[in-house]
Amino acid sequence: MKRRQYLIGALSLAVAFVVFVIPFIFVFLNAAKTAAESATLDFSWPREWRFWQNLVEVVQARDYMLLLAYFNSTVITVGAIALMVVSGAMVGYLLQRRRTPWNRIIYGFVLAGLIIPPAVVPTIWLLQQIGLFKSITGMIFIQCAYGLGFTVLLYRAFIATIPRDLDEAAIIDGAKPWQVFFKVILPLLKPVTVTVIVVQSITIFNDFTHPLYYLPGAENVTVQLTLYNFQSQFVSQMNLLFMNILLVTVPPLIVFVFFNRQIVAGMTSGAVKG
Amino acid sequence: MKTRLILSTALVSGLAPAAFAQELTILSDSSPDTVATFEALTAAYTAQNPDVSFSIETRPGGSEGDNLVKTRLATGEMADLFIYNSGSLLQALRPDRTLLPIDDIENYGQINEAYLSTVQGADGATYGVPLETAQGGGIYYHKPSYEELGLEIPMTWDQFMANNAAISDQTDKAPIAQSYRDTWTSQLFVLADFYNVLQAVPDFPEKFTANEAKFANTPAAAKGFERLQEAFEAGYFNADFGAATYDDGLRMVATGEAVHYPMLTFAVGAFQQNHPDLMEDVGFFAQPGDDLEANGLTVWMPASLYSPRDTEHPEIVRDFMNFVASPAGCDAITEAIGVTGPYLIEGCELPAEVPGMVADMMPYFDEEGRTAPALEFLSPVKGPSLEQITVEVGSGIRDAASAAALYDQDVEKLARQLGLPGW
Repeated sequence: MKRRQYLIGALSLAVAFVVFVIPFIFVFLNAAKTAAESATLDFSWPREWRFWQNLVEVVQARDYMLLLAYFNSTVITVGAIALMVVSGAMVGYLLQRRRTPWNRIIYGFVLAGLIIPPAVVPTIWLLQQIGLFKSITGMIFIQCAYGLGFTVLLYRAFIATIPRDLDEAAIIDGAKPWQVFFKVILPLLKPVTVTVIVVQSITIFNDFTHPLYYLPGAENVTVQLTLYNFQSQFVSQMNLLFMNILLVTVPPLIVFVFFNRQIVAGMTSGAVKG
Repeated sequence: MKTRLILSTALVSGLAPAAFAQELTILSDSSPDTVATFEALTAAYTAQNPDVSFSIETRPGGSEGDNLVKTRLATGEMADLFIYNSGSLLQALRPDRTLLPIDDIENYGQINEAYLSTVQGADGATYGVPLETAQGGGIYYHKPSYEELGLEIPMTWDQFMANNAAISDQTDKAPIAQSYRDTWTSQLFVLADFYNVLQAVPDFPEKFTANEAKFANTPAAAKGFERLQEAFEAGYFNADFGAATYDDGLRMVATGEAVHYPMLTFAVGAFQQNHPDLMEDVGFFAQPGDDLEANGLTVWMPASLYSPRDTEHPEIVRDFMNFVASPAGCDAITEAIGVTGPYLIEGCELPAEVPGMVADMMPYFDEEGRTAPALEFLSPVKGPSLEQITVEVGSGIRDAASAAALYDQDVEKLARQLGLPGW
């Protein structure tokens, strides 16, 4: 019995190594090569270590574009997540607790947000009308709108596991409705909030297409767009591209490493009851 | 008081373009060479006009880039200047509705006429100036292998195949490199054969656009597919042709692992970056046809600089384009990225020393009648699936005849979308 467990453990470790670690090593090794050597895309030790030079070159490329991109992406991610957590939790709470004829309609909109694909040109037209196009604020609202459906679903499912008695006790003690939400319910939502933060921040931080269309302008660049500094049809600098990938991968990786336990806890705690 | 106020406002606004600093935005593609070109051109222009500055933004290439350009034109958010293909792809932007005509710039007469026809809209107005040099589609070859085997540069297709036979008999090198992981590289044998098509059927582009001639029923046009099939059936490709990349293809012909690589001369920059020591080992010749007397190069027109119709600075934009279409503009480009081919502006001179593979291209341009534009610059019709079809032919999945017929079907969809008469 014991031996079998070891075997399974070793096997899954090996699979995880092949699936997750080897690509990372590949990126790392190629990020340290010269442009000519990395063009062959070999899994080989670099003949000449240029890790630091490549790092400096990537950071300095196009007038320190990567640093600006880090700043923009961080602002967008933090802004959109904050908005999403507060409004998602509120909507989820109301949907779960207060039964009204509106519930079905609101729930329908939440599902529509998940199912119906967004159209680019009308969205841009709307943003132009309200003067938010080409602004970080506009991008925050868009990311929030795209992620809100999923967030509301997560919160609604989780709030169903919180006993109603808590609300009632608070109301008997004289709490106003908003106090019930902010002082009693919201602190209890921590596990699922962590899940939302991690899942959505990785999605938003790694988003490529939406910033590409909704956020034009050299000063509005986000991290995924910087990858295009180094690849094109005829001449690609693979070493710098891989270095850029490495730099862009690190922040989400750190988030994941630190919050790993909470993510799993949040995922499972919301999944029991629908 | 009031009149004076209005008067002074009018005065200020009249003087504004000269007196105030202006910033123009540029949407470049992501190639390091294009960005370097823009940086050099804008720096040179700002040196002459200190109140004009530029900010350069990059976009991805390929279909994502096409979508982006179309979206931004449709929403009126296009940068003041942007780079995009000439020829058939430009027509898909509907230039007569979206772009700024530039027929009245001062250096208009200096621009190559064959080029101008590829940046004109349905209304006959001109919308772009060439940002790069003309390029050829042909075959790169490994010079040391040619010397070793005593081979001559082939002037006909049969000579080319005889060279391939000699290479495959006497060495273990691959006679022809193919790289189908980057599917677009598979089209070269078909596209670069167009000089030969035009020699046999001079009015093919007009008839093709009018739906009177097809690839399948024009033997000269179908030949490109047949040549690809022939090369595959003879077993001349590198063993990993299905998985090799464009960079692999360049490496193979630079190191001599393969002796030929059909490619566009846009590749000069990549050779310079990846194989600087082997540059002079690589030569270039046009794809040969059947006729010894009619040997020439199929030419690709460079990407061009355009401006959207609703730009806020039409005067500065025109002036900048005028600068790009001047010898001073060419010199700025040469200084930034070196020479990749002949310029399309009269009066632009090349430096005395150019890479051997670029020098190999020049004789075709120097002699009258040895160049012809590729089909996509003579006809707005270019099917979107050609690269998938040529991958099939080059891998032996489909034969040349059915490929030509399939391409005709592919083209039909696009022609209907463009609303061409006769489809």
